[in-house]
Amino acid sequence: MIYKVSYVVVGQPHPGEIVNQDEPPQVGDRVELGSELFEIMEVVDLAPPRGDFAYLHATCRPIY
Amino acid sequence: MTITELLERSELFHELSTEEIERIAALGHEQAYDAGDIVIQEGETSDEIYIVCGGLVEVEVAQGTVPDVAGRLQVNPIVRLGRGQMFGEMGLIDQGVRSATVRCAEDGTTLYVVSRQALWDLCNEDHHIGFVLMHNIAADLSFKLRHRNLRVGLTGGEL
Repeated sequence: MIYKVSYVVVGQPHPGEIVNQDEPPQVGDRVELGSELFEIMEVVDLAPPRGDFAYLHATCRPIY
Repeated sequence: MTITELLERSELFHELSTEEIERIAALGHEQAYDAGDIVIQEGETSDEIYIVCGGLVEVEVAQGTVPDVAGRLQVNPIVRLGRGQMFGEMGLIDQGVRSATVRCAEDGTTLYVVSRQALWDLCNEDHHIGFVLMHNIAADLSFKLRHRNLRVGLTGGEL
């Protein structure tokens, strides 16, 4: 499965990121967007899967 | 990993056979960029579409500018696109000018570049490829719009 993930950052100005990855994001995981680290607060399905593609949204917050 | 294997992992080519992807792959080429390189410039004509094979690009739009008034251009980053993402596809659909500037955010970013006209000609020649590509582009634009809507909702409208 290929996970197409929409990352949105709250708590600081950040454009967010869209990327394909091999593993789904999990709440509590740390993710590197560009050169910055964020914590994943929420993961939801953005649309039903199509074939090998799953569509997810992850809300993140900065790690200070 | 071959270029065909890389493209198979992009949503643009979802539901196409390996042979069909190879036909599309033959139309384009890989190109490497460094951080800060501008790939496409807002307002320019659009001749190519791009797929991110590796690295990261940032999409940004100009904001608050007044035509013919000198001054520093204020740019507003709207999203970063990583592996497997496409950009420049709006020009394939409407042939309009670039709606945003795309700048490489990491050294060694590799893009697969395909001529808009060559891809359009292939879509006209093979309607199955054309239908699947148009469906996948529509799905990608929908995903980007959902991302943007969520960002507006979660950040209080800050873009």
